[in-house]
Amino acid sequence: MNSKDIIKMNNDLREELSEENKKIYEDMLVYIRLNANKSEQQTEEVLLELLEHLLQAQSEGKTAKDVFGDDFKVYCDELIEEIPGEKKSQALLFGSYIIMHYLAILSTFYGASSFLLHQFFDIGSIEFTFSLGSGAAIILIDLILLYFFIKVVFRWMKGSTFREKEIKKWVEFLQIWLICVVFIGLSLAVTIFMPDFGGPISIPVLTFVGVGIILFIVSFVLNKKYRITK
Amino acid sequence: MSLRSQLLKGVLEGCILSIIHQQPTYGYELSVKLQEYGLADVSEGSIYPILLRLQKETLIQGTMQKSDFGPKRKYYHLTEEGEKALKEFIYHWENIKLPVDNIIQKGGENS
Repeated sequence: MNSKDIIKMNNDLREELSEENKKIYEDMLVYIRLNANKSEQQTEEVLLELLEHLLQAQSEGKTAKDVFGDDFKVYCDELIEEIPGEKKSQALLFGSYIIMHYLAILSTFYGASSFLLHQFFDIGSIEFTFSLGSGAAIILIDLILLYFFIKVVFRWMKGSTFREKEIKKWVEFLQIWLICVVFIGLSLAVTIFMPDFGGPISIPVLTFVGVGIILFIVSFVLNKKYRITK
Repeated sequence: MSLRSQLLKGVLEGCILSIIHQQPTYGYELSVKLQEYGLADVSEGSIYPILLRLQKETLIQGTMQKSDFGPKRKYYHLTEEGEKALKEFIYHWENIKLPVDNIIQKGGENS
């Protein structure tokens, strides 16, 4: 059974948990799933086992503490340590999918908005001139920023599990908003402050839309074939 | 980790291999069997990290199978390496069980 099918099963089964158990289990689920370098298949298989175990225990009147011990976080850490790492090929596939998708969005959006701005408001140019060197450097730095952005968001989500006291919704919103603002700001700053180097090239802005669509199609086909996200 | 839990872990691994050897078993069933045999001290959830480790060491293998009633479950069975590991465990256990019992009994008499 593929990990995606197991996730679907988990989503359905989880509804049978009591209010209290559901909260505990979903914290464990988030905490364990956020370990990006672990095998997804093994992670989902053990998560489903824990869920079925907890459901059984629940029907016999046992609590989550009876099953997992007093400290859920310690228990999860013990589990995570034993989950094998993701296969290199799988990790590479997932990484390239994320990168392609990210570049597809950036490229399409940039190309389309430049074209429309020029067409309707006469702002900017239909040609985009950039230096090969700095262009490549910008993409590279943006991808590195994306990597750290994902890391920070994962850490933030991990921190949101197993809280004794509930944190206010607007504080959570403010935190994630700040993280996003810093990420977007830094990504833009790179484009603005990058000095020109390497030979300049001029290409029509619509090329970006074309490149973006090709990237979308490739990532879509990859996803269909290897079931990366679904 | 304390000596006590290390000792328990090794013994527990052997017991789990032995139960799976008798017949393919899934997680919950395994924990019930362990408790039925009297290992009530072992918290139910503690078998899952061990099951993961035994899989990593390819001593056991899990397959998702439809159970007689209810949803698909992950049933574990021993691999060839697992059979070998179980034999080794039994051998070591047999060798250590009697001497340890004797030592403890002697100690008990003196105190």
